[in-house]
Amino acid sequence: MVQASTGALRIVQVGFATTVQDQGRCGFAHVGVPAAGAVDRRTHDLMNRLVGNRPDVATIETLGALVVEALRPIVVARSTDASRHTLATGDRFRVDAPADSVWAYLSIRGGVDVDPVLGSRSTDTLGHLGPALLRTDDLLDAGVDPGSDLVADLAPDRRRDDVTVRIWDGPQHDWFIGGRQALVSRPWRVTNELSRVGVRLETGEFARTTRSELQMSSIGLVPGAIQITPSGEPIVMLANHPTTGGYPVIAVVEPDDLFDLVQTRPGAAIRFRRA
Amino acid sequence: MNRWPYGPTAWLVDDITAPAAWADALQAMDVKGVEEVVPAEASVVVRCERRRHDAIGLVLDTVVPAAVWMEREPPLTIEVVYDGPDIADLAYAAQVSVDDVVRLHATGIYEVAFCGFSPGFGYLRGIDRRLHVPRRDTPRTSVPAGSVGIAAGYTCVYPSASPGGWYLIGHTATALWDVERDPPALLRPGRAVRFVMVQA
Repeated sequence: MVQASTGALRIVQVGFATTVQDQGRCGFAHVGVPAAGAVDRRTHDLMNRLVGNRPDVATIETLGALVVEALRPIVVARSTDASRHTLATGDRFRVDAPADSVWAYLSIRGGVDVDPVLGSRSTDTLGHLGPALLRTDDLLDAGVDPGSDLVADLAPDRRRDDVTVRIWDGPQHDWFIGGRQALVSRPWRVTNELSRVGVRLETGEFARTTRSELQMSSIGLVPGAIQITPSGEPIVMLANHPTTGGYPVIAVVEPDDLFDLVQTRPGAAIRFRRA
Repeated sequence: MNRWPYGPTAWLVDDITAPAAWADALQAMDVKGVEEVVPAEASVVVRCERRRHDAIGLVLDTVVPAAVWMEREPPLTIEVVYDGPDIADLAYAAQVSVDDVVRLHATGIYEVAFCGFSPGFGYLRGIDRRLHVPRRDTPRTSVPAGSVGIAAGYTCVYPSASPGGWYLIGHTATALWDVERDPPALLRPGRAVRFVMVQA
């Protein structure tokens, strides 16, 4: 995708979805442009910090193992073990999610330098904006060295067993008997239907109130919005969610907890509690 | 007007008659801490800074859309070749002739009610009631960019190739979406639009 004159990295192997991501494209939702950006913004920002970058430069996000080769000496960090490394020319470097999580990030000092589209270097996998999905033999450039000191070598590890996620009332919570309590009362298994757009939880029973007989017109969506489909599947919207959606939103995930939810592996359970 | 908390960083405003006009009025107020204003079919989502959430909620109560909201620009004119693969099916579903479909579509003045679905995709309201039909039973997996469609009481132009379930009645050479252009979207909420028939 990017044939740079002085590449910093060559892609040796990609995962199921390996993309360039930053903090997303704000300000165009009213014309139908998703925000996109890193699904796990917290880890994206942290990996940038490990190599001395500002949090808003681009990293590589991967679902499934990524292998890169250094084309010149370069400082990188990976979320696999939240560690920083200095690669020598020719070094190969593997980036995979830790055993208990889903999405992994690779940061490079200076950030991934691709042409921004509408102010962002994020690959929008729904609206098809920004750089293409990364492929084997793509060359990536690094941006200007930030000139900052490297302060941390290893980031604190976050435990992810027994994930509890706080939720707020969604605008259509009163369409369901018990409102968001219907989500709080039991654990929910994460299904393997997950993408940058959203993640589906196992089907549940959502008894509807008479309000739900109102005609639902599509509404703007936000990250963390939990839509309930007619067959009772909760779908949690993630970074690359569509700008509008037509299912009632029963609850909204607390933004600080959304990144714990997105990193929960299919088959594992999460619990909700009231924010 | 009602407003509903939509998590700690957004509000959903509904029970408003003209979401695009309401959103425009809010934007004109240039409220500190408002990050994004997204009109939809009958509501507006306002995304904001968390620490300003409550204060912005109170500001939303004071938004007064212009009583008669007129677009400052003249209608955007889009030239259409009415040769879509579904024009006969639509005529049948609406129980009018193919000529009627063209005449009714090309004489209307439309307004972008809201955008969504894909970058630059506008839902244009104002279509003649005789052309109100539901979506097709089976959506197409790929609709070419520039296709002009009708469904669900709206008309549209597909800005890029995408799946789609609308009746396709024609196509236009006008690029509705171009990231190299500023602004990239020709349609935005509130924009007036008309269609004129041209020959292939």
